[in-house]
Amino acid sequence: MEEQRVEALVSEGSLDGSGINSSGSDYVFRVRNLLFRRMLVGIKDGRFFLGAFHCIDKQGNIILQDAVEYRSTRRSSPSPMEQRCLGLILIPSSCRTSCHVDCFIEEQLSLLSLNQ
Amino acid sequence: MDERRAEAAAAAAMGRHDGHPRPASIPSGDGSVWADVSPLLEAACADLQEGELIHGDNFNLFAAMSALEIMDPKMDSGMVCRYYSVDEAIENGAAPVPISFDKTVDVQCTIDIMDHLLACEGTWHKGHSLAQTVFSCIYLLRPERTSSHALLHSYCRIIRATCKAVVSVVSDARTHEEEDLFTMSYGLPLIGEDEKCLSMLNAVEETIARQLRACKAPSSGRKVIEDLEPLQNNPALEEGYCKAILCRLRFRKHFYHVLMCLKRPQGRGLQLARKHISSCLSELEIIRKSTEVLRSNDYGTHNSGEDKTTASGRQPVGFDASINTRLSAPTPPRSIKILSWSEAVDYFVKLLHDLDIICSFSLDASLEGILQFMVQFQKSHPDLVSRAHLQTLLIQDGKLYGRDSIFAVITKAAGLPEILRNHDIQNGECLVQLGQLVINLLKILSTNAAWQRRKLGKILQDWRVIHIQLELPFRQEMGEESGLSADQSGRQDILRQILVWVEEQTFWIASRFLMLGFELELYSPGEYCMVYWYIYVVLIKLAERMHHKMSFTNATEPAKTRGKKKKGSTKDTSRDIQMPASVLFLQSYICLAEGLTMMLAALRNERMLSQSPSPFNSDHERFIQHFELLQKAGVPDHISYQSFEESTKNVRFSTLVMYNYFKDAQRIAKEVKNSFPNDPDRQSELRRVEQVAEHNSIALTVLCRLGSLDPSLKVSFDFSHHPYFATAVVKRS
Repeated sequence: MEEQRVEALVSEGSLDGSGINSSGSDYVFRVRNLLFRRMLVGIKDGRFFLGAFHCIDKQGNIILQDAVEYRSTRRSSPSPMEQRCLGLILIPSSCRTSCHVDCFIEEQLSLLSLNQ
Repeated sequence: MDERRAEAAAAAAMGRHDGHPRPASIPSGDGSVWADVSPLLEAACADLQEGELIHGDNFNLFAAMSALEIMDPKMDSGMVCRYYSVDEAIENGAAPVPISFDKTVDVQCTIDIMDHLLACEGTWHKGHSLAQTVFSCIYLLRPERTSSHALLHSYCRIIRATCKAVVSVVSDARTHEEEDLFTMSYGLPLIGEDEKCLSMLNAVEETIARQLRACKAPSSGRKVIEDLEPLQNNPALEEGYCKAILCRLRFRKHFYHVLMCLKRPQGRGLQLARKHISSCLSELEIIRKSTEVLRSNDYGTHNSGEDKTTASGRQPVGFDASINTRLSAPTPPRSIKILSWSEAVDYFVKLLHDLDIICSFSLDASLEGILQFMVQFQKSHPDLVSRAHLQTLLIQDGKLYGRDSIFAVITKAAGLPEILRNHDIQNGECLVQLGQLVINLLKILSTNAAWQRRKLGKILQDWRVIHIQLELPFRQEMGEESGLSADQSGRQDILRQILVWVEEQTFWIASRFLMLGFELELYSPGEYCMVYWYIYVVLIKLAERMHHKMSFTNATEPAKTRGKKKKGSTKDTSRDIQMPASVLFLQSYICLAEGLTMMLAALRNERMLSQSPSPFNSDHERFIQHFELLQKAGVPDHISYQSFEESTKNVRFSTLVMYNYFKDAQRIAKEVKNSFPNDPDRQSELRRVEQVAEHNSIALTVLCRLGSLDPSLKVSFDFSHHPYFATAVVKRS
């Protein structure tokens, strides 16, 4: 759904990056609004990192501030979780499997919708 | 249409459709949910320009570079390697108890575990963390699990008790060297006293000793009275394995006793410690020999890998180095290499020898003797554990050996009579501070060479300040002495003598600072000239002060009483029959230093040094860099680059022909040797001085005759005869 949408926008020619009103920078604008919010990133080996969203780059690498690592003590779930404070961390996009942001129920629709 | 899409998005946000399980136990806030933002992020990233970032106002690229990168093994200590946790490892059978149901295999594996633990312990001592070394053993991490296996259990308990004792002594010494990793034991099961560990070990030892007797009984003809189960199943191996285990148990027992004896206050356990050290060393010998038995049973190859951590060459069961990585700081520890088994045995042999040296040092030595001992001890490059023991032995409760007050030590060192050692002058602020400086000096001399040199340079300032403070009352009262009471005059005399000693000590520290630079290879050959010149200047002052201090005492002249304390000059040397031996000893050093300075200066002035000057900084700048701390402290005063230049700029081989300092050094060294009949260290030192002097004297003669005339002559310097005083090597190129 998302790829089609983006492709549609490209073909409409509104992604030239020049206008403030182009939908390209609208996505960027929305992601900018997510900064400093609590973000939960899951990675390939099953660990989760919870921290304040600090930065993202074009490749999708994410930096979290005051991050906490959650990991289970057994390979199979359910199992008790351990946590550990790590500080500033960088999660490469290659090992990221999921990404969630803490938001109010009401706002999540507007947040997530890729419509205008 | 759009609404349905939005609902689908919301449903997706509830988390079930993205296909990645999210633990319910990571809560979102009140009234909030976790919303999946991956699609949004992807779309936004596609819209970014190359190199563009989305970040807030508080973002700083430089700071962001310090972020830990997840899944990078050097930065991510939480990376799942084999097991998620110790418990998972245990559940997967990583550390079975018993190790095998075949008793022979069980015994073999137990011996491997003992050996690997020894290798880990040695690696730990060398400066790594407990978590990565000894406590990579899963059996040690869960102590209760091994209770059904008497041998393994008792061994684990003694290991824990030993590690605890060593951590305790190193923490007490508080050397704060780079080896701070050493005492980190957070999260490891090291707490609590284990009084029963020795009795457990003794019980196990007794059982195995009986098993050994039993298996030898048929050959010795005695009837087997005891109905004793053998150690393992194979009768041919029984004797060998019993002996192998016994020597390992006995080594651990004696080593633990060594540590306990050394802990006893005021050095009361030193003699007993020496006995246990001797037992340890003999058990280590037997352990080394046991490789024959242990290896021959399995792999026939004897040279299979020099880095095997066990005597048998097998990998031990029950160890996982990655399991504890999360117990360190957020970043994973450096990957380390565990010592090989034979390296570990060598390490413990050296450690025991170093501890033995410490134990055999007399507890009645003077401060001068102690300092000399510490300098000599450092020459064998002792490791952290022995150095920590030396320090805690010397300084306990702010007293020397926990017994002598520092003021008493100072008065004795300054040559003051014994009755003064409790004089209340010690309560004055200056003298209390001086006491602290002495304690600090002893602590510094127990650290490793690099740390030591740095600290010695820094304390020069403190010693100088104390000197100035002690001198103040004398400066103020010039010409007023007749107005002083007898008591005040007595105090003045005490302070005067202490002052001379303080000066002497300051110069001694400066000389150590300079000479350690050679040991640490901090000087380039182009700088030797100025270094030897500075050493020469400092040693002259040191000898002067030492001689002055000795002129106060009547130690060398039993018949005459020279009770009056003299101030000022040493003009009374006419009354001395000869210079004291220790001053002459220094004189030989002075001649060597002067000779080397002059020879190097001549070589430089005649442009014969192969070293080209550095394009980066001038001689003057390098002088300042090397001697900054000495200059700042004014040790000695009125010394500068200009004085160095003055002394050396006109030196030529033609002028040196007149005076051969090396011959003087040789002569003095020969004379003084007889004055130290009971001091083998001094005697070998003097022999080395003689060697350096002789070789340099010959080199100098050659250079003086042929030097400037023969351009093919090349001169280099090496330290083949003495660690600080270089020997010139003249070659034809």
